[in-house]
Amino acid sequence: MTDDRRPLRGLRVLDATWFGAGPIALRTIANLGANVVRVETQRRPDGLRTVAPRPIGNPSLNVGGFYNNFNAEKRSVAIDLAKPEGRELGLRLVQWADVFMTNMTNRAVRQVGLTWDEVQAANPGIIGLYEPMQGLTGPHTEFIGFGAVLSAITGLNYLSGHESEPPNGVGTNYPDYVVNPGHGVIAILAALRHKRRTGEGQLIDMSQLESTVAALSGPVFAWDNAGVEYRREGNRVPYAAPHGAYRVASYSGEANRWVAIACISEDHWQAAATAMGHLEWLADGRFESLEARKAHEDELDHEVGEWAASHTGEQVTGALRAAGVPAGMVLKASELLNDDHLEARSYYAYLDHAEAGRRAYDGPGFRLSETPHEVRAAAPLLGEHTFEVATEILGLEPDEVGRLIAEEVLY
Amino acid sequence: MSAVLSDIRVIDATDVIGHYAGYLLADLGADVIKVEPLDGDPTRRWLPALPDAPESEAGLQFLLLNANKRSVALDLDDPSGRAAFLRLVKSADIVLESWSPARASELGFAPAELREVNPGLIHASITEWGLSGPLAGVPSSDMVAVAQAGLMHLNGVLNGPPRNLPDHQGYRCASINAAAGVMAALLHRDETGIGQLVEVSMQEALLIAQETAMQQADILGTDRERLGGLRPGGFKMPGLGIYETADGFIFAMCSGNAGSGFPGLVDLIEEMEGRGPLQEEPLATFARNEMNAGQLMERIQDPEQAPQLLETLARIDTLVTEFFRRHSKTVLYERGQQRRVLLGAVNAPPEVSADEQLRARDWFRDVFDPTRGRTLRYPGPPWMLERTPAHLGRPAPRLGEHTREVLEEAGVPADELLAGGGAQ
Repeated sequence: MTDDRRPLRGLRVLDATWFGAGPIALRTIANLGANVVRVETQRRPDGLRTVAPRPIGNPSLNVGGFYNNFNAEKRSVAIDLAKPEGRELGLRLVQWADVFMTNMTNRAVRQVGLTWDEVQAANPGIIGLYEPMQGLTGPHTEFIGFGAVLSAITGLNYLSGHESEPPNGVGTNYPDYVVNPGHGVIAILAALRHKRRTGEGQLIDMSQLESTVAALSGPVFAWDNAGVEYRREGNRVPYAAPHGAYRVASYSGEANRWVAIACISEDHWQAAATAMGHLEWLADGRFESLEARKAHEDELDHEVGEWAASHTGEQVTGALRAAGVPAGMVLKASELLNDDHLEARSYYAYLDHAEAGRRAYDGPGFRLSETPHEVRAAAPLLGEHTFEVATEILGLEPDEVGRLIAEEVLY
Repeated sequence: MSAVLSDIRVIDATDVIGHYAGYLLADLGADVIKVEPLDGDPTRRWLPALPDAPESEAGLQFLLLNANKRSVALDLDDPSGRAAFLRLVKSADIVLESWSPARASELGFAPAELREVNPGLIHASITEWGLSGPLAGVPSSDMVAVAQAGLMHLNGVLNGPPRNLPDHQGYRCASINAAAGVMAALLHRDETGIGQLVEVSMQEALLIAQETAMQQADILGTDRERLGGLRPGGFKMPGLGIYETADGFIFAMCSGNAGSGFPGLVDLIEEMEGRGPLQEEPLATFARNEMNAGQLMERIQDPEQAPQLLETLARIDTLVTEFFRRHSKTVLYERGQQRRVLLGAVNAPPEVSADEQLRARDWFRDVFDPTRGRTLRYPGPPWMLERTPAHLGRPAPRLGEHTREVLEEAGVPADELLAGGGAQ
């Protein structure tokens, strides 16, 4: 293993998170060099260990791509925190750690005895990031959910899609993947800077509701201050037209493919009309200004759609990009895994895993030139590092570990 | 109690892709100086606008994400403007910018050039595609990035058009990653004195939000499709997805083990309406023990079980659909959550604004804005740091409001520059 120059080398992090928002935040922290130890249990494994995608017919808790992608380069120690000796070992890991994070419900946190009061009592200088659905206080503090429930209550569903359809959501548990983990990473790094300057740890009370609304604040701000009511308008926006997805004749030899075209400025519009070979649009009163185009947007989209439908995706993006107009195909995951641009930037990491084999992992959301992000290991098997953590961090003798495993305190 | 970044000065020369990054750093207490062209950041004129405010001061998108910053209007196409910019860079800890590689070279502000001016600088480049690779510098936008990161493909109804995510999630995710990268770089600089380049590609910032689509393609070789909330094959799982209520919609996630699961929903129905078909046989045992989406999706593949199973599920879904339709979404949400039933009211922005929990936590922040002559209500921060609370000290700046002040702080002769037209 090469010398570690990463900015968080040496940082000790205790990971009591599960599902998406927590594990992803701490994967970023791990890939910045921190020593991240995940506490898991066999009795109630992380839900993502149990779901698809996984090799067909393989029920192992260690082969799910959903879990593995979010937990690369962490160690896994399996402890039953519900047993008194397990709880004692858990608190010793709290004492070891500089940072503790959980996104379990407040109820689950109480059940395993890792509330902020308990954690801080065990380790007064620790940073504790608690990321329950709606925060640690308030009338809805016990409310629960996943990203898709958040999408409903934060306005994401209401604002996505089109009014001719129900507010079905965005097809994923969207807030779980960048918004909430990303805000969590920033909060941890901010608290870490404070700790390094003052010696003080602190509690971070991060409500996933607040974090998500913060990233979706435009329509709320517009309502509160200007009485503007946003609705579901497909891909339209108030400040640009044309702005939408249009079906092309084919892409990559496939039918039923779509291209996104965004004319943000007047220059984009003029360049687009020219590239599409429709100079007459520039002389058409219906399209002469943003205001006019917004007033005739159905007709505008129809015209642009006709043009797109009579060309391949390759022709459409080629012509528009050459003219300086933002345009790009609506791509699928399989295409992105083999995308020239992402390959040139080595975005995806391919890592070997004892049970899952060589698999693709997401790369970094940001890159640091002097202290680059690395993903040094695949995701851990459940309890893969129990012995290592028990002896190296908790200082237990090997036969003591054996006894605890026999008594199902450790796995 | 001093803020985490109270000693840090940030030059924010980004366009809309990076506004939220500077906003987050300002929330942590940094002095963020927004450098704008002489005619202002384009979002100053985006619609919708604040009524009765000067045109260049009214764009709500601008007001929202540029509060807490100071504004300097500089002409970077003019040599004196560029010279002043370099003086600002020299005085700063962090630069945020969103120039294409070609534009950065044209300005003479490529990473190596800025680092020469300020060796400890943390330089964050936030662009559509990153600084390398065949697409670097190709025109893009929020929606185009969401399309090119696979997310539009997953969003929309079965066979319908792909949909963007609302409120610029491409720009948001790029900015969140930039702020995270800057914080990591700052910790490294605190320790070693060494600055560095933080590079963000909006496309890359979004890719992990494909949920399981990438892993499915990698492991199984198939692509996930947009299904508008249905299960694969267009199947509607009872207790999962969107339902109409008496006054709108509710989102349900009650067909797994989380919370009180489907039995919790059955109990909620009994609490609100008394016993009915879901509490009696032949449905009661099934509803209590077998409503697990994962297992059911496997069982309906079996041609022997499928016909009866589908009939039972359709009957249950009808009962659930009718139940939701008789009640208000807020009552369902609150009473359901009290029983740990995973329900979420589908809230419109005015309802989010009025949310009881956000209000009880005093989340929104009122800031008096003298330029626009009123108090504006801002969203709160995404986190609550107990010892170092977020800081929203000033409204969005007027164009060039702090040009003179900031230039003088950096030792630039402001009068000369203003008279020559390099600044405003």
